[in-house]
Amino acid sequence: MAVTIQTKYGQVDISNEVIASIVGCAATDIYGIVGMASKNQIRDGVNEILNRDNYTRGVVVHQKDNKTIVDVYIIVGYGVKISEVCRNVQNKVKYNLETMLGAPTAKVNVYVQGIKILEED
Amino acid sequence: MVLEKITAHEFIDMIRLGSHRLEKNAQFVNSLNVFPVPDGDTGTNMNLTFQSGYKAVNEADTKHVGELGQVLAKGLLMGARGNSGVITSQIFRGFSKSIEQKDSLTPKDLVQAFASGVQTAYQTVMKPVEGTILTVARGASEAAQAVIDQATSIEQVMQAIVQGAKVALATTPDLLPVLKEVGVVDSGGQGLVFIYEGFLQAVGGSVTDDQAYQPDAQEMDEMLNAAHHQSVQTQFSNDDIANGFCTEIMVNLGEQPTSDERFDYETFQHTLSEIGDSLLVVADEDVVKVHVHTQRPQQVFTYGRKFGSLAKIKIDNMRIQHETIIENDEPKVVAEPIDYAVIAVVSGIGLEKLYQSLGVTTVISGGQTMNPSTNDIVEAIKNSNAKRAIILPNNGNIVMSAKQACKVVKIPTVIVPSKSIAQGMTALLSFDENTDLETNQQMMTEALATVKSGQITHAVRDSEVGTLKIKKDDLIGIVDGEIVINGDDVVQVSLAMCQVMQDEDSEVVTILVGAQGNQETARQISQAIVNDNSELEVEIHQGDQPVYPYLIAVE
Repeated sequence: MAVTIQTKYGQVDISNEVIASIVGCAATDIYGIVGMASKNQIRDGVNEILNRDNYTRGVVVHQKDNKTIVDVYIIVGYGVKISEVCRNVQNKVKYNLETMLGAPTAKVNVYVQGIKILEED
Repeated sequence: MVLEKITAHEFIDMIRLGSHRLEKNAQFVNSLNVFPVPDGDTGTNMNLTFQSGYKAVNEADTKHVGELGQVLAKGLLMGARGNSGVITSQIFRGFSKSIEQKDSLTPKDLVQAFASGVQTAYQTVMKPVEGTILTVARGASEAAQAVIDQATSIEQVMQAIVQGAKVALATTPDLLPVLKEVGVVDSGGQGLVFIYEGFLQAVGGSVTDDQAYQPDAQEMDEMLNAAHHQSVQTQFSNDDIANGFCTEIMVNLGEQPTSDERFDYETFQHTLSEIGDSLLVVADEDVVKVHVHTQRPQQVFTYGRKFGSLAKIKIDNMRIQHETIIENDEPKVVAEPIDYAVIAVVSGIGLEKLYQSLGVTTVISGGQTMNPSTNDIVEAIKNSNAKRAIILPNNGNIVMSAKQACKVVKIPTVIVPSKSIAQGMTALLSFDENTDLETNQQMMTEALATVKSGQITHAVRDSEVGTLKIKKDDLIGIVDGEIVINGDDVVQVSLAMCQVMQDEDSEVVTILVGAQGNQETARQISQAIVNDNSELEVEIHQGDQPVYPYLIAVE
């Protein structure tokens, strides 16, 4: 599946992996996120923080009625207001997808998979 | 009296003044907001966050600074709003952890607390983006570290903190390209500077006066434009835009008769986000401006009208890149609200442009006869959407209808009784939009006397004026309403008329070339005038006025 844009010269397909990367980069820009987590914690080991190349394992993208729905799996730092951080992720992801792809985003679902306790706490 | 330590009393004071200073400048912070999402709410978010911290501290029942720090951190955490709010709460969480055990703070403790705040703040993010609030917090803390050994008073530490924060804030555009593009410093960083300045005030330092800041209409527009460009740049091609109409509206909140809902930013923004993309909503107490790309502009209008009257509408079809004409049943488009309207009666395209370049807001076209009706003037004042108005009739015959207009309109309006185009121009040079109406009227009216106006035209019939015998179609020169010269050579007549107008104080001659005049002849007239009196400077402008091929003014 992918986002398809019809132009007068032909068709542009943007694969869901690319969208997932964009989502991952957008989410990890947000203050309070210390990492992306795998959506399959059982299979991939618990709370393993993904590195940049694997962001796609922490983002699920699918299309419904021509709109893009993304699920983002994150790990937050201890001590921040999680609800607010998630809202910031939703805002930023939606904004980035719409400006970069011009693709309407229906939903951004955020799953907090873990919390990272920092050294001094 | 030098403050050597912070007790509970000073601590509460610091939070109070920090919160107060941020609140006063929240709108200014909003106006800077372009990162991470340009939605113009950073100031509002930070303010709500910090208010929540202050409220908690204010209600706390303890005299132990360490405990107050805990209370502050918790209040900020509970009230954290937006990215900037989350970062702020984290900075003060680190700050309060460092002072947990202390019932008062020495300058050294304070420096360490700020350092601890920065450390905690940097730990809670995967990729610390430089050029943001983090950079400002770090710059402040490093500046304080630098004075840790010689600082004997709390105020010295806070001075260093504020100084360091300001220096770091100034570097943010170099660190974050998006800031440079729009030409702003980081909004969250600016918010933190306001908080720190409040702290400094509380411990005896002084800061520059508060600027009770409100982004003006133009700045709001700039923000909308920035959002529009950012979103448009990233489209593949205009043919493929799903939402083809770039729609902007401005709503005057709560203005009857259409307002039936209370405005709530979140709800408003959310509803519109369903209608289109590239959405930007900026609002203050009275006005909300919206920029959105949508297929259904009509829905945006309908929704906006629920909250007040639509003051401005703009639709661009992004596919064919020209403005679509709004159908007649749409609400009338009204100008931006402005302080002053300066309304002048002139005729001729060139003169209209000239007047606009001199700062006139509305030009009433006088037509051939230079005689607009009272109603024309009233309409011009109404449509200007200004708080006060000045009328320049530029003709003795119009003063009456202008006076009538003053009586009818709702806003304070005065007349500067200019009798000619040249007088009107001179009066405009004395206009100062930062001064009150009466002073402007007085200054502008006084300026009228400094200029003499001459008109060159053709006689429409034979007549005798004083010693002059004038035949039909003769060229005549009229100075301030009286015919002073006649002849058949335009350069000669103009020069003779100019000589009548000059005195020893004259410096500048302006020639306005009419629809029946030409630039070449105007240059000849100019040459003749300078040859006759080398003291004078001559300016030539294209005025396109009817009836008078040349208007000549001497100042």
